[in-house]
Amino acid sequence: MSATYTTKKILVKRSYQFLALILILLAGGLFLIPKHQKHDGIPPEQFVKNLLSTERYISTDLLADRMVNQDPVLLLIDTRTTEEFEKFSLPNAINIPLAQMFDENLNGYLNQEIYDIVLFANDNFLANEAWMIGNRLGYQRLYVLDGGLSAWFETIIEPPYPKETMSKEAFELYAFRKAAGKYFGVANDTVEIATKVVKKKVPKKVITKPKKKKKMPEGGC
Amino acid sequence: MGPLIPNELIPAEWNFVIAILIGIAFGYILEASGFSSSRKLVGVFYGYDFSVLKVFFTACVVALIGLNYMDYLNWIDMTQLFVQPTYLWAAIVGGFIMGIGFLAGGFCPGTSLCAVGIGKIDGIVFTIGLFIGIVIFSESFTWLQPLYEKSNLGHITLDETLGISPYLIIFIFTLIAILAFYISDVVRKRVKKVFY
Repeated sequence: MSATYTTKKILVKRSYQFLALILILLAGGLFLIPKHQKHDGIPPEQFVKNLLSTERYISTDLLADRMVNQDPVLLLIDTRTTEEFEKFSLPNAINIPLAQMFDENLNGYLNQEIYDIVLFANDNFLANEAWMIGNRLGYQRLYVLDGGLSAWFETIIEPPYPKETMSKEAFELYAFRKAAGKYFGVANDTVEIATKVVKKKVPKKVITKPKKKKKMPEGGC
Repeated sequence: MGPLIPNELIPAEWNFVIAILIGIAFGYILEASGFSSSRKLVGVFYGYDFSVLKVFFTACVVALIGLNYMDYLNWIDMTQLFVQPTYLWAAIVGGFIMGIGFLAGGFCPGTSLCAVGIGKIDGIVFTIGLFIGIVIFSESFTWLQPLYEKSNLGHITLDETLGISPYLIIFIFTLIAILAFYISDVVRKRVKKVFY
């Protein structure tokens, strides 16, 4: 009897033992494989696509228009620190500093599907960071105020008077901005920080988080 | 990546086509392994043939281990898989009735249809009985409804209920399976052989 014949004989004779051993090894192997972090939210390719798109930006004019018309689905979120927020902010804005995005009480404002959330800070930077984190986690309806509060001041609070050679639309836009400025409390032609946070109690918006419907395959024996 | 149809990698319209193909393959394998013979199937109760136990236990363990590796490799998202809701008392009573039916008739629902497929008379009689059972159940459903719906525990799983790692459960389950195979072999050797 050759050596290969003997090995083959053993393999055939003990094939069930080998199969059992393989099963045990595979089941035990599940313990040994390193734990890997599962990422919630959208896949990276989609995230990059969203990141490169400028769709998330909402202009100050559009925001002012929606605020003047008291858009019920609009929710403003100030991503700056609490001290900065207390000095001034947009009317009815909620303060969620970037570092506190995942606070249990505050996260519910961001992770929802009911409101159009406009994130803003002094410029685009902080708001964009908050937007990136939220978008990666699959939060819905997040927008960024283009240019932040700086742009808000430059366009709504203190709009530049258009040059005489400019188009009619530019004058109309200027008129709109002036009117919007008045709505937000800018006195006639005197510039002052009119959007100082008025400590009026804004009724807390209760956001019910609808359960995400998962498509489940139905199965049965 | 997976499951393929809920994640729309395969259009949902293919659902039934794939189900039919898998069904045909399943029926074919059942028949080819001799599972259309009631004598082979009930052998597990009398101790002369444990093929049923071995086949289903092996399928279970292979799927269990395989799915977990696939989940690890991101080929399938286990959280998206459908977990049958547990109706505790309904399952106990139903399992008891099904056990009696299995022992008396020699088939379980799937294998009875398999036997019908190859024209076995006992299979045909069993299937007629099966449909009579379905009619009785449907007609008395209003009466049975409290039992049927009362003990719904929802989509629960062992690892969540017991609070232990799913991998530990898989490992223990694998050991139990192999132990069951070993014991069934010992029993089979001691029981008088039945030729069929």
